[in-house]
Amino acid sequence: MKKDLLVISFIILFVVVTFRGTKIQSVDEYYLTHIDDIMPNSKTVTLSIVCDTILDNYDRLDPQLKSDKYVPSDGIILPPTKYVLREQDTVYNILDRAVRHNKIQMEHQAPHLNSYGSVYIQGINYLYEFSCGPLSGWMYRVNGIFPNYGCSKYELKDGDVIEWLYTCDLGRDVDCQWLGIRESTSICLGGDFN
Amino acid sequence: MKRFLNTTICLLLSLSFCLNIFAKEYEISEIKDSIEGIINWKKLDNGSTPDGYLINNVFLEQAGTTPGDWFPIGLGRYGYPDDYSAYLAVIREVVQERYKTPGKLHAAKSTEWHRISLAILAMGGNPTNVGVDQSGKPINLIADGSYDRGKTASLGRQGINGWIWGLIMLDSMRYPIPDGAFYTRDDIIVEILRQQLPDGGFALSGNQSDPDISAMALQALAPYYNNETAYTYTLAKTKTEVTKTVRQVADETLLILSKLQLDSGDFHSWGTANVESAAQVMVALCSLGINPQTDSRFIKNKNTLLDGIMKYKMPDGGFAHSFTYDENNPTSLPNQSNNMATEQVLYTLVAYTRFKENKRILYDFRPEIPGDLRGKINALISKINKINGNENALMAEYQSIPDSEKSYVYNYYKLSNAVKIAQGGSVPKIKEPVLVPIQKSESVKIDADQIYSTGEEKGNYTTKIPETLQKSESEGAADSEAQAETVENIVFTQADVEGVNKLPAALTTEYYTEVLSLIYKLENSEDFDKKSEFLERLYSAKGEIASIRTEIDNINADVIEQLYPFDKITLWDKGKVDSIVARYNKLSDYDKQKILRVDDILKTKTQVDNLLRAIIIWSLVVLLIITLSLIVSIRIKKRRKQKMFDKMQLDEAFYEDILK
Repeated sequence: MKKDLLVISFIILFVVVTFRGTKIQSVDEYYLTHIDDIMPNSKTVTLSIVCDTILDNYDRLDPQLKSDKYVPSDGIILPPTKYVLREQDTVYNILDRAVRHNKIQMEHQAPHLNSYGSVYIQGINYLYEFSCGPLSGWMYRVNGIFPNYGCSKYELKDGDVIEWLYTCDLGRDVDCQWLGIRESTSICLGGDFN
Repeated sequence: MKRFLNTTICLLLSLSFCLNIFAKEYEISEIKDSIEGIINWKKLDNGSTPDGYLINNVFLEQAGTTPGDWFPIGLGRYGYPDDYSAYLAVIREVVQERYKTPGKLHAAKSTEWHRISLAILAMGGNPTNVGVDQSGKPINLIADGSYDRGKTASLGRQGINGWIWGLIMLDSMRYPIPDGAFYTRDDIIVEILRQQLPDGGFALSGNQSDPDISAMALQALAPYYNNETAYTYTLAKTKTEVTKTVRQVADETLLILSKLQLDSGDFHSWGTANVESAAQVMVALCSLGINPQTDSRFIKNKNTLLDGIMKYKMPDGGFAHSFTYDENNPTSLPNQSNNMATEQVLYTLVAYTRFKENKRILYDFRPEIPGDLRGKINALISKINKINGNENALMAEYQSIPDSEKSYVYNYYKLSNAVKIAQGGSVPKIKEPVLVPIQKSESVKIDADQIYSTGEEKGNYTTKIPETLQKSESEGAADSEAQAETVENIVFTQADVEGVNKLPAALTTEYYTEVLSLIYKLENSEDFDKKSEFLERLYSAKGEIASIRTEIDNINADVIEQLYPFDKITLWDKGKVDSIVARYNKLSDYDKQKILRVDDILKTKTQVDNLLRAIIIWSLVVLLIITLSLIVSIRIKKRRKQKMFDKMQLDEAFYEDILK
């Protein structure tokens, strides 16, 4: 009698161990739920969000934003983080995924609502264009280079490094010397003079 | 030596003048063809047809944004017949909604007020009375966006363009500034003047003039070009104190713009040749009464600003922003019609036709100058061009023109200089432009009752007169502020009635703009039989759609709040996930498109469903095993019992045998 019970519990234990380790999923479901998991063979890009230029221009910052909550003491809103690169992902797609996954506030303008036909990033972590002076706003660079077009037009490739940088001087304080005023205005001030 | 130099310069100047005169001149009909081409391009871009409205429901979704407001400005100033009341209906709602947020139209950009106000004026509306705010007070975009803006944030929070456009908006109807306002007109003018750069122009930042910002500054200063008031102020860049008139500053800006113009007629804006810079300069010249096709300062290598603009024209009727192609970015397509480029070219060409047809400048929305006064102004202009010792008589003639229209005597500076020289004074040392006399065109008489023509003849439209002045022409704009919203009676047509009847029982946000414009028309229409009934139905439809819009916003917010980060999603979240999915499924197909990252919702839903399924399957297996085990053990027990029974029976039989 006792011997039987022992056998039964062994069987149960075996089943538990087996099933807890494996999910019961179809192939499609597996791919869907694991699309953002980094595997050895996944294509990835790295993204960071930094606003350290504000630390040097703190006096010009909107008083309501003078808090660690909005401007972290080291200026890093998101340290370099790897994300899986999906087919046809743009800089905007990765930023959108990153802020969602990290619950960082972000506000953007859809391409058809501005004049230069790309998504325009108005604010990240409650820091908006003009929050720190008339020449302030968000810019991005990929592998150290500032593209002269909007983030939803930039298609990424494996290994790209994207940095979202808050500028207080139309790019000059983030080492962007060559970008035309129209382009930097487009990218960090929404492109419209009016 | 000095004289020799002067002679050489004169000779060179006249030489270049002779060369430049061969520049191709575009006829007004060609310009109008381009304008109509742009309008048709935009119609197709919106999914409309050449016979349909440009301001359709797709377009109206953008009301209150840059691409949504500049086309109406261009259309209205051209007088093109379109669905103006639909724009006014939607913008009223957009403004009211945005006024509920802490920053109202924008926390930093006062240009939101300026652009929207100009668009409302162009559509025949009144920007001093656009719906009501949360406390029920009428919204006055002019006050909030200019003289009282400083009570919330600096007019120039976003930079010099805030001051520039603030002044353009303020002068669009020559709005008076009431006592107790935060800024005076001179405050705004001086704020622009003091940001002049050492090279003569203006820029958003840095020390180099930017053609766009310089041109916009000229557009703002144009109404003051004839003023002799000298302002004393400290320059922002060099911290030096100067005393200058607006004309001196504007002339310096014209000079640097002339220098910056390329041989192809257009401009580089920080490295990229583009169409918008040329467009802005052309609007500036038209605002100052300078003919961009004949003024030698703006003809380079036989190319005028118009040549510089037309080179960006695309076969589809739109305009490209630039031809600079970036190999690394094949998706950015620079040589394709671009919205910003096209909308700016539209109002630029409209500014030029207005100039050629003797109408008010682009951003002067007051009713047209009466024909006799216009005739007097034009006569004075040609007399000044032939000035010959009669400066005092001409000055008297100039003084007899009402102050509010003096800025239309475009060549007054010549008269002013002549008077100064005659009095023994000196004139500012600015290179005298070689001007080809402005062609005299016949004065256009505007019938005040005519709102806009049906456009039988192409391009022959009359601009809609803003409603502010329709009811109080004698009082002018001065009383516009106190005035209640007055719109001319709109006829609620049979088509509109059908529009109400055609609204489906299950509404979606697709019908929002349509319902808004029907309400606007109905509210402003004369009473008729079923008016209140229709209004009732439309108000309830609006409410219904408004709640769908709120639901869409809530779903989007809840997705962000509840479904991330993904790896923390467990079975405990199933309730939340299912409720979001259920709410999503309740939406119509049209509204579903407004939910962001549906793939993530699907992913999360799959995740929790898989977790649940795993648990169900697992429990079933356990249950099965327990049942099986029980059955097995029962059977074993039974068998044992049977064995025992058999054995006992055997034993019994055995003993029985023995006992026998």
